[in-house]
Amino acid sequence: MSVAVELRHISKRFPGVIANKDVSMSVETGTVHALVGENGAGKSTVMKILYGMQRPDSGEILVNGTTVHFKNPNDAIEASIGMVHQHFMLADNFTVLENVILGSEPQHGITIDFAAARTKVVEMAAQYGLEIDPDVLVEELGVGQRQRVEILKVLYRGARILIFDEPTAVLVPQEVDDLFNALKGLRAQGMAIIFISHKLDEVLRVADDVTVVRAGSTVAEVKSKDVTARQLAELMVGSELPQPSTHGDTRRPEITLALKDVSISTKSGSRDLISHVTFNLHAGEVVGIAGVEGNGQAELVEAIMGLRDYTGEIEFSGANINDLSVAHRRDLGIGLIPEDRQRQAMMMESPLWENRILGHQRGKPVMNGFVLDMKTIMTDTKSIMEEFDVRAPGPQTLAAALSGGNQQKFIVGREMSKAPSLLVASHPTRGVDVGAQGAIWEELRRAREKGMAIVLISADLEELIGMSDRLLVMLRGVITAELDPAKTTPDQLGSAMTGAA
Amino acid sequence: MKIKALKFLRYATILVFVLAVIRQITGASDLTSVGTASAALLLSVPIVLAGLGGLFSERSGVVNIGLEGMMVMGAWAGGMIGYKHGPWLGLLAAIIFGAVGALVHAIATITFGVDHVVSGVAINIIAMGLVRYLSTILYKSGAWKGPSQSPDVDSIGTNSLPVLSGGDYFGWKSPDLLNSLAEKHWFFISDLASILRGITGDLSYVTVLAIAMVPLSLFVLWKTAFGLRLRSAGEAPIAAESLGVNVYAMKYAGVLISGGLAGLGGGFLAIVAANHYQENQIAGRGYIGLAALLFGNYRPGGILMGAGLFGFADALQLRDSASVHALILLIVVVLAVLIIRDIRKGKIVKAALTFAFAGLSLWYFMAVKELPGQLVTMTPYIATLLIMSLASQRLRMPAADGIPYRRGGLR
Repeated sequence: MSVAVELRHISKRFPGVIANKDVSMSVETGTVHALVGENGAGKSTVMKILYGMQRPDSGEILVNGTTVHFKNPNDAIEASIGMVHQHFMLADNFTVLENVILGSEPQHGITIDFAAARTKVVEMAAQYGLEIDPDVLVEELGVGQRQRVEILKVLYRGARILIFDEPTAVLVPQEVDDLFNALKGLRAQGMAIIFISHKLDEVLRVADDVTVVRAGSTVAEVKSKDVTARQLAELMVGSELPQPSTHGDTRRPEITLALKDVSISTKSGSRDLISHVTFNLHAGEVVGIAGVEGNGQAELVEAIMGLRDYTGEIEFSGANINDLSVAHRRDLGIGLIPEDRQRQAMMMESPLWENRILGHQRGKPVMNGFVLDMKTIMTDTKSIMEEFDVRAPGPQTLAAALSGGNQQKFIVGREMSKAPSLLVASHPTRGVDVGAQGAIWEELRRAREKGMAIVLISADLEELIGMSDRLLVMLRGVITAELDPAKTTPDQLGSAMTGAA
Repeated sequence: MKIKALKFLRYATILVFVLAVIRQITGASDLTSVGTASAALLLSVPIVLAGLGGLFSERSGVVNIGLEGMMVMGAWAGGMIGYKHGPWLGLLAAIIFGAVGALVHAIATITFGVDHVVSGVAINIIAMGLVRYLSTILYKSGAWKGPSQSPDVDSIGTNSLPVLSGGDYFGWKSPDLLNSLAEKHWFFISDLASILRGITGDLSYVTVLAIAMVPLSLFVLWKTAFGLRLRSAGEAPIAAESLGVNVYAMKYAGVLISGGLAGLGGGFLAIVAANHYQENQIAGRGYIGLAALLFGNYRPGGILMGAGLFGFADALQLRDSASVHALILLIVVVLAVLIIRDIRKGKIVKAALTFAFAGLSLWYFMAVKELPGQLVTMTPYIATLLIMSLASQRLRMPAADGIPYRRGGLR
């Protein structure tokens, strides 16, 4: 088999960060080659370089044995490389056919030859097992079908080397199966497929070869049949990375948060979203809520914060807070790191100092009587940025200009600045780079030692096990188990979460 | 496509029939007269052109409130160049001046990312001041009646459909079948004939040209690669850019075509509808063109209907206030159709609301024998407003319309 694409010692640095130090991989025709690594390991940068969106500082790209230098994506398309973007690039009000042919329309005189285009697209769809009605509007399609349109777009332009950037992130399991069948079809047609992912079970299902990158460098290139998911995970994470862990028992006798029979019913009256949740949380204790996403964790957070009506009782530091508003609860000393930082925690188009005010707009240090205390806000924002290592030019920087990790560190810093006695942390390290992850863990650890009670919700099982003093497993809105993290492995926790154990 | 055309013909025939019935009941003969139909067409043309102008701009993703100002510039250039160099060059100048106004809008919104509405309003204000300023500089006594009005422009020839609507062809005097039918005063047949005679007879060449722009726009925007790319710039510019479409170029093209069409509309007002440029000649027709664009749901055929509706109401109020009174009955009929449609779709609240409107209109029709003059002048606006608000459909504007676009500015 011949080598379709070869990357040799690719390096790329951005101001202040090295995205790629030394990435090499070689993809054979007729194979699916997975590129795996943690978020921030440099997967996307490598692919942007291969697709001509960025240029490498050093290193070599070979396509079918010849060295190439791409200036822009059009050059890559010329070299028969196609990219299926993670975020779909489709016009909703156009038909499938219009979306596919846009930019390279077949001409018939001065008009578009729609008949020829339709024939070609239908033929292609049948050939690769991507059946779709070419005349339906894209807005009427589901996510899986939209992805088909994206794949057809790439194939229509004659791509033989296909890059899939985290294609399964937006799909439900059934659609993932369909996609993998399509990938197998493409492989059988002699295409070279590069599959970027960090979901290792999927990688092992579909890939022939796996290249692992860590901190911008290739650390291994293996055959998928020779490795297990655990081995891949070890390669991906490496030993140099920070580990989530806490030391000793810092639990204090006083109870910070107590939930008694907290339930949230649905409007339709079917199964409760959360049902009779009862637990106590001591000062200086971290309780981890484990569960597959959508099993009531988000609703639990909303109940504690007062964002949603519930039945049952919630006590904070011994006093019932059922009737208190969100603002009151925050004033009492409850902090929140929401699960979706861009939608729930920040105003992306506003400067950091305005974001610093969010949630603290009712008193010192932000307010001075009825007016904003600009001087204090500025110095305060600066000190949060220093203390929590938020890398940005200054308080006037727009939130949108920060990387995900820096945004998250800023949010953690903002919540910590008031030294709340209870912190509800929802996925505090999701989608942040390794350095920020370590820093956030360190902050939580320190706060715990000072007596803060923390409700930790996470999809990262190692984080849950490492950071929690106690684990509660939620399944379909009910707490089904309480586990001791010291005696629990991720596997055990995982099966408890799905109700298998 | 063919089915659509047949459907349209059927609806048009039904509409004429309803008009004939109302004429019979009320005796308002001007409802279906040759004169009304021909005036309605003449009054529709500038609105069609403005609406099509809006179509090109907004389909490429740029909101164009500046249509009004571009029409003003077109009308001024049409009058000024027209009286010196003849009407055809005047029209050309109108197109160019409209496009110049559009160029300013394009540079501001596309290159510099200025808010589209702010830039459009600025253009409207600047255009009005600019043409007054230029007129004052150019003003000479003699042929000029004053600095607010240009000297007269020669008229552009007219013609008719041979055999059906009369006219002269190389010395041959064509028969005028439609007109003779219209004069028979047969119920419905004569009504249909006189409306057809009105919109096919004594047409200015420019009217034909302007109406031809409707199918031409449809063709360009939906059948050519250029049109597909232009629309993609208004629907999903980032996706379009990723496929090698030059989004900036498409937006510039859309806005410039928009200005050209609006300028032509202004020139038409100065040269064909009147025979000179006059201040305040446009009188909000750019905005009404935008309304027709919305009414037509960003499609050429819909724009033509919206403009036709306005033109018809405008023609009636100009010709005969008694017919305006009869028009109320027509509105009642249209509302009745909407009520039936709403009930079928299960929208009871909306149907009830429409019913209340219809009842009120019917009562007013019965109670008042002649409309007060002020109300008559307002007719086209009221009719447009009523039909637009009550016929509201699923409005689908281009997804990225009005959103400043930056190359490489990923979401």
